[in-house]
Formats: sequence, C-alpha cells, structure tokens
Amino acid sequence: MSKIFKRLIPASLRNKSSLAIIVTAAVLVEVTTAIQYYYAQDGIRQEVEHRAESELRAKSLEIRNVMDVVEVAVENMAWAVEQSLSQPDSMVAVTQKLLADNEYIVGSAVAFEPYYYKDKGRQFSPYTYKHDGTTTSKQLGTDQYDYHSMEWYTAPMESGRGHWSEPYFDEGGGEMMMSTYSLPIHDAAGRNVAIFTADVSLEWLSEVINARHIYPSSYNLLLSRKGQIMVCPEDSLVMRKSIWQATEGMADTTVEYINRQMMAGHSGQATVRDDNGVKKYVFYGQMDGDIGWSMAVVCVDSEIYHSLRWMAVNISVLMLIGLVLLAYIIWRAARNLNRLQTVNAEKERIGRELHIARAIQMGMLPKTFPTYPDRDDVQLFGLLTPAKEVGGDLFDFFIRDEKLFFCIGDVSGKGVPASLVMAVTRSLFRSVSAHELMPDRIVASMNESMVDMNETNMFVTLFVGVLDLPTGHMYYCNAGHDAPLLIGAGVGALPVEPNIPVAVMSGWKFVTQEVQIFTDTTIFLYTDGLTEAEDTEHTQFKMERVEKVAQQVLDAHEQEPKLIIQRMSDAVHKFVGNAEQSDDLTMLAIQYINIRSSESRHACLDGRVAPNEDKVKQQRDVKSIVLPNDTQEVPRLAAFVDEVCEELGINATATVQMNLALEEAVVNVMEYAYPKNISGQVLVEAEISPDQVVFTITDSGIPFDPTAQAEPDITQSLEERPIGGLGIHLVRHIMDDIQYERKDDKNILTLIKKLQKS
Amino acid sequence: MKVIIENGNPVVAKLQGRLDTTAAIKVAPYFQDLNQYAAGHLVIDCGELEYISSSGLRLLLTLRKEVAEKNGKLQIRNMNEDIQQIFKITGFISLFEIVD
Repeated sequence: MSKIFKRLIPASLRNKSSLAIIVTAAVLVEVTTAIQYYYAQDGIRQEVEHRAESELRAKSLEIRNVMDVVEVAVENMAWAVEQSLSQPDSMVAVTQKLLADNEYIVGSAVAFEPYYYKDKGRQFSPYTYKHDGTTTSKQLGTDQYDYHSMEWYTAPMESGRGHWSEPYFDEGGGEMMMSTYSLPIHDAAGRNVAIFTADVSLEWLSEVINARHIYPSSYNLLLSRKGQIMVCPEDSLVMRKSIWQATEGMADTTVEYINRQMMAGHSGQATVRDDNGVKKYVFYGQMDGDIGWSMAVVCVDSEIYHSLRWMAVNISVLMLIGLVLLAYIIWRAARNLNRLQTVNAEKERIGRELHIARAIQMGMLPKTFPTYPDRDDVQLFGLLTPAKEVGGDLFDFFIRDEKLFFCIGDVSGKGVPASLVMAVTRSLFRSVSAHELMPDRIVASMNESMVDMNETNMFVTLFVGVLDLPTGHMYYCNAGHDAPLLIGAGVGALPVEPNIPVAVMSGWKFVTQEVQIFTDTTIFLYTDGLTEAEDTEHTQFKMERVEKVAQQVLDAHEQEPKLIIQRMSDAVHKFVGNAEQSDDLTMLAIQYINIRSSESRHACLDGRVAPNEDKVKQQRDVKSIVLPNDTQEVPRLAAFVDEVCEELGINATATVQMNLALEEAVVNVMEYAYPKNISGQVLVEAEISPDQVVFTITDSGIPFDPTAQAEPDITQSLEERPIGGLGIHLVRHIMDDIQYERKDDKNILTLIKKLQKS
Repeated sequence: MKVIIENGNPVVAKLQGRLDTTAAIKVAPYFQDLNQYAAGHLVIDCGELEYISSSGLRLLLTLRKEVAEKNGKLQIRNMNEDIQQIFKITGFISLFEIVD
C-alpha cells in the first residue's frame, strides 16, 4: 500500500502539509459543489412544482370556463322549458335555440318522464343536433332506445342537480368525444318532470390541454371520473382505454397509487419510473366543480435537471482542473522549497568547507613573526589578505645553508581555483628550492611542472629570491611579477627582467639577476592587490602612493618589516575606505642586516663582541663568494681568487698557487661534504690584512675534515703512486696554515697565507 | 681549455689554457683517446698551459701509467715555471720525462 502511495505521489508531495492542503481543498470543493447542487436541485424542484400547479390550475380554469358557459346556458334555457311545459311542441324550438346560441353545444334534448304528456306516449324527448353544419331535430327516445334507464337521465333525476356524464365517443353521430350535461326540469309543484340535456363536443379539450407544455417532452393527461383517458399523447388510447387498462402491468406500483389518488379526486405529486427505467415526475389534481375530471402533468427527470446536471458536470470538471492546478502549484512550490533547502544546505556546507580551506591555506603561509627570533641578520614580516574566503596570492620563505629563499606570487583569478594553484605553487617552491640554489632554476623547474598540469590556463606571477645572508648578495628571478621596492639608502624599485609568468610556456629561459643588498636595506615585495586597490570611485592606489608611504617610512626610520607592512596596510585601508576589497592583497618585507664578517661572526658566536659595532670596518676588509656545490663553478672561484690576489698585489706565480690551493680546498668540500645530487653551497670569504690573507671556506654539509687525510708519499714510484690524494697536499704546501673546525653544524676550513713584504 | 692532438711521430698533444677541475672533466675524453698511442711515442706540449690543478695532474698520471704498461714513451715539454713548480711540489717531476 505504502509502495503504491509512494509511486503515485511525487516525492515532493509526500510532505504532509502539502498533501493536507490538497485534501482540504478537494473536500471543500466537493462539499461546496454538493451543497450548491442540492440547493439548485431543490430550487428547480420547487420551480417545477410551481409550474405544474399553475399548469393544472390554468387548464382547470379554461375547462371550467367552457363548462360554466354550457351550464349557464342550459340553466337559462331550463327556465324557458319550465315556462313552456304546457306546450310540448315548443320544446324543439328551445333545443334549437340552445344550439344556435352555443358553439360548444352540438346536441340538446328535453327528455320527459314516461307519459308526462299522455298523448306523447312513454318516450317523449325532442332532440336537436348539429352534424356537418346542418341542424336536425328528431325524437330521441324509441322503443329500442329507452332513455329512462340511461345514466345521463337517472343521475340528475336522483340528485336533483346538474350532472355531467362520462365522456363518450359519438359513434355514428358526430364521430367525436362528447359529454352531456343534464339538468332536471321542475314543474310548478317542484317535481322533476324532465331532463334537459346539452351534448358538448370535447374536441377542444385536447387543444386546450396540449396548448403548451412546461417542458418540451413533458405531457398532460386528462382522465374522466371513472378513469377514462380523455387526453393523452397517445391518440389511440383516447376514449378507448381507461387509465387502468393503459397502465396495467407496469413494474412501478406507484403508478397504480397515483391512479387511485386521482380517481379519489386528490391532488399531489409522485415520482415514477416507466418500464424503460426513465424517471418521471407526476403532478396531479382534480378539475374544479362537479365535473370530476382529473389532470396530470408528467415531466421527465432528465429534462428537468438536464441543465443543472450539465452545469454540475461542468463545475466538477472545472473544479478538478482547479485541483490539479492547485496540486501542481503546490508541487512546484514544495519542490522549489526543497530545492531552496538543498541549495541553502549546500551553501552552508560550501561555506564551512571554504572556512576550513581558508584555515588550510593560511596554514601554508609563514605565520609566526618574528620567524627567526634568534637571527640577527634578517627580519621578516608577511601579510596576506584574501579578497574572498580563499585566495591565489602566496608568499613563503625559509633559510637553508645560510641562504634565505623567498618568494611572492599571484595566481591569475581569485577564489577556490586560484587557491588550488596557489597551494601547488607553494608546495613546488618548497620542494624545488630544497635542492636547487639558483632562482632561475627554481622558477624554470616550477614552470615545467606547472605547464604540464595546467589545463585551465591559469598562471602565476612569481618573484623568487635567494639572499645569501653572510654576504648580502641576492640572486633573483622575476616571472612576470611586480618589481619589489628596496628601502634603504632611498626608495627605489629593484631592476627586474619581466620574463613571463610561470605556467604559461614550457621551455622558457628565465633570467637570473643579482644584486648586492646593503645592510639595513628592506626588500618590500607585494602583489598587485596593493597597487590596484580601489576606493569606492574605482581610483587605484597606484605605485606612486606605495612609494610615498615607503619614503615616509624611511624618513621616520621605520623600515622594520612589521612596521612597513603596518604603515602600508593602514594607508591602503584608509584609501580604500568602505569599498569592497577587489583582489587578494599580499605584502612581504625582508630587512637585511649584514653583521656577518668572519671576525664579527666568530666573535659573535663566542659571545664576545656585539655584532653591529665594527661591521663597516670589517666589511671593507672582507670579500666573499658563495658557490653551489658544483665543480662547474670553479671558473667563478678562480675569478674571485684573482680579484683577491689583485688586491693583495701578489705576483702571477703566487696567484697561480693561491688559485690552486683554493680550488683544491673548495673542490674537496664540494665533492665530499655534500652527498651526490644534493644541492648545497660553499661560502668562501677572504679577509685581507696587510700581512696575511685568511680564506674561510664554510659549508653546511656532513662533517668532513680534509686535514685529517693522510699525507701522500710523493717519493713513491710510478707504480705505487695512487691517482688521488694530491689536493690537500697542494693546499698544505701552498698555504702557511690550514685549520678545520666544526661549528653550528657547519664545516669551517680556514686557510692562512702570510704575505712576504716585497 | 683545449687539447689539440697532432698525429705524427711522435704524437703531440697540445694543452692550451687552464686545466682546472672544471676543465679536467671536459677534456677527460681526449686523454682517453691518447691511450691508443700509449705503446708508441707521445709528447705532451705544455707551451700554452697556464694552470693545472690536481684533477689535471690525475689525468697525466693515468696516462703515464698506461704508457708504462704498454712500454711506450711519454715526454712533457715546454712547461712554464709555475707548472714546473706544481710538478715539483707533487713529486711529479720525478715521474715524468721532462724535456725543453
């Protein structure tokens, strides 16, 4: 049952309230229709009764009028008869006059008691009748026709009053339906001596009775006192059958009841069904006066209520259409409601997920500042404000091998798609820069990975920098990003090659650039959310304002990263006012403080000297270079050593030897301090003083002490000499001192060469 | 760094430029090629060699061993003073036949 219910009723309608609405509406509609139908039917019934009664009364009146005319005429002539009783032969003239004066009267007789006139015999009845327009008089009574026993004679004789006979068919005479009115004639003594008759043609009856019908198929019946059919739609029955004979054998016994009622002179109404099952209403009543006739009006039920039923059917159909429409509207409403609920729930779910996504995204960014509280050479602060729940901006940084790797980027677009690309970009930056050193190689590697998976044509503008913390030398690669600002001696944009954004084209050769970052300089990086921040009138913040704020910050000596970003953030928020943030806004500030000359560093490590004191002086005496652990980098080392030697002013042979010692020492570190395929770097510093030059080679590889290697025996024969082991021997031979130290997870190799005064 | 090999008798290999670690990796295949003349007479001309590090010395030592094995003859000529100095420090001076 419930299964059928479920199948028949759409899911959205199974909701109790909508079903209740439809059921209530249906019940209301049905009850209204039923009540309306009931009252309409009742009204029609009353109307029919009223019309039927009027019909009965009207017919009765019409018949009565004719009858009255006849009765009055007969009574008036009766006076003339009574006055002429002494002259029997004048009776013919009386009857002739009656006929002449009355069109309805077609025959008249004065029939006397037997032997009233002795000479006239037993039967004396002068009779005049009309036939085919001629009037004939004759003697009615004969030996064959003894009227003294006829009803029309005996009935008034007994009652002493006027009497209408049963209608009869005048065969052989007028060939028509007739009735005879008889009135007793009194002599002077008041005795009944004769009967004065008037034969009345009843041909007009059917005309009167059938003059109109209250419904097209309704009909009227006229019955005599004894049940003789006088008028009915079936001509063959008229004057031939009684109502009893005509209705004999009918299934509905109400017919018989009606017959009895009518014969008894009652009036009323009844419902009958004929043998075809057709329902009919019968209204019946007796004619006024003594005539004793009864009339019935018969109406067919289907006809009376035809229009009502037709209307009811129409209304029902309309109601049904209305209900279906209502059900449809409710169904739609319910479905829309359901959909709205689903959409709302979905929205809430997306909202929750976005909230989580935001937390995840924010979790990817460095968020604790200061990030390196124990470091005194670099300070950082970053701020990312997405325009939507999640955004496509990113920044990241970390320190490896005394190098600060950092990046800032902006994924095209906003929202969830951008945030996914942002997450990928940030992960790639981390994983690629874990083993790459040079920004161009980092960017190129990220580019290749992202071009491969970029099917949505999203791209990232990216700036990657690698700041060598000991020296302040920065390599950087810009992939279509805004040029960072350098805030130090003044405010200026870092010159950048635009290249192209990441994920646009495979195989692009990204160019690395380099710059020396001076102490106390702050590198300010930002995304276009800063320069393109709009106020309510869509005016952009623009680069000029950024530079102005930077200048103010510099003038106020507030180039600390956190302060710079706070000032910039305040300025842009003040500018934007109440306008909605249109794009993700990201800022990253890196302040570099170069305290890392070798002297000061060692001092610093030992905790002896405050780091900043002598750094300007120290800086002047120290040269340094950072090399990746790649033996391909030896020419750069050679250039560095040549430069140092030139400053030292030593001769070519000494320069060759210095080169050789440094090459051997550095290559040794490159080959042994870092496992194969792991990128690292080697810091080479040269501290020049008038009497000596101290080279310090620092790396963060595995502990490796080259001084611990055995000294090769250079006197061995050719067969005995091993191929390797010469490098450290050369270093020892060329340099005056060589020392190894493992400190802070770093290998520090110090080479000292005394200078001979020339 | 360039290695120019002149086929003749003896076969002369001219070393030009700086033979540092980076260059040694590049020119190693040329030294491999020289192994085929190890049984004959080979001359390494260092007239235009500016610099040599241990990686370069290793290449020479490997070739020297190959020649000794094949009973060939290897001579090094035209070394400048700086190179000679390095040969002295490493004891290579006694392992090779140095000619002017």
